[in-house]
Amino acid sequence: MNDTPTTEPPREEPTGEDTTEQEAITGQMPQPRRLTRSSSDRMLAGVAGGLGRYFGVDPVVFRIGFVLSLFFGGLGALAYLLLAVFVPTDGDPDRSQRFGARLQGLGIWRALGLVAIAIVAFFGLSALAALAAFAVGLGWGVPVAIMIIAIGALLAIAAFRGGARWLILPAVALAIGGGVAAASDLDLRGGIGEREYHPVGVGSIPADGYRLGVGRLVVDLRDLNWQKHRALPLKVSLGVGQADVFVPRRVCVTGTTHVGAGESEVVGERNDGVDVNHAPGGSSRATPRLNLDASVDAGQLRVINSNTAEVDHPGFGPGPFHENTAPQRAAEAGACGTG
Amino acid sequence: MRNRLNVDILSLGAGAAIAVVGALVLVDSAGGLDLSLGWMAVALTAAVGAILVLSGIPRVPERRDD
Repeated sequence: MNDTPTTEPPREEPTGEDTTEQEAITGQMPQPRRLTRSSSDRMLAGVAGGLGRYFGVDPVVFRIGFVLSLFFGGLGALAYLLLAVFVPTDGDPDRSQRFGARLQGLGIWRALGLVAIAIVAFFGLSALAALAAFAVGLGWGVPVAIMIIAIGALLAIAAFRGGARWLILPAVALAIGGGVAAASDLDLRGGIGEREYHPVGVGSIPADGYRLGVGRLVVDLRDLNWQKHRALPLKVSLGVGQADVFVPRRVCVTGTTHVGAGESEVVGERNDGVDVNHAPGGSSRATPRLNLDASVDAGQLRVINSNTAEVDHPGFGPGPFHENTAPQRAAEAGACGTG
Repeated sequence: MRNRLNVDILSLGAGAAIAVVGALVLVDSAGGLDLSLGWMAVALTAAVGAILVLSGIPRVPERRDD
């Protein structure tokens, strides 16, 4: 046997000079700081925790910023969602990160296409619901209802032939639009726009009252000659929008008012929500008196007993006496003799 | 060979729920009932809720009895 000694090349031990050189190289190209979501300091998805750590700021500052942004257009909420989806966590991947990875796997154009389809579908379904509500408001409630029942039956029959799930969302949109319009007694037959009436004589008031489908309806009764013993019945009907009825302070307002959904401000009494009813004046027989039958399906109804209130106060929101309705209530109580 | 009856529960339930809402709209529009917005909201929420619950039930795959 010929043993040939094998010799390994001597291993080079790192010298102090090499180490310094490596550090110098590392120092020239520092690792970039990476923005990650925090898996330990998190309220929702750890975005604020990660931002705080990245910028060296208390995460509470970012949390307050995100919450405040909700009241200014909500752009911060959108930013939070994007950060939650596309910024990785510093721990195990969570659900939003996996969702973001799936989106990235789809590719930018396919992901954008999906988002576009979702937006189109949302607006399409909203338009379908609005169309059903509009049809019911125009008095076609029965045909719309029959159509909804027929689609429901079609879905049920299709269930035995493999199903027709694509039909469910359009059917739900139709049912919501038609159902809400029917229940709120939506009436759009009075036209669309802004109507302002200032009758100067009782004879100029239509026998069936004032009606508008969509828009703003103003009935100013302050130019009428309110004789001492006058009791005037008046009907005011609005589908969607704002209805304002103005009367002088010395007129007692009685009757009933109804708002299907929205706000009601009747001689100083203000309420909002769904099915808001008022019966101002109780059973008062005081004169001069306006016996009002007013209804707004969706929107705002204001009955203002003031000699000085401006008619030109369009739009939603606080009325002329929103801050202090006590003078209106006092005037009503005085006029109706209920004070 | 005979295919087992395969019913899509989601479509069936959704159809029934939507038909019920349609019936309510019909009765209200025809004047047989004056349904308030609040009650209609309850009915609509129940219908949508039922559909959501049914959508959580996994679809039974079609089985062939050979």
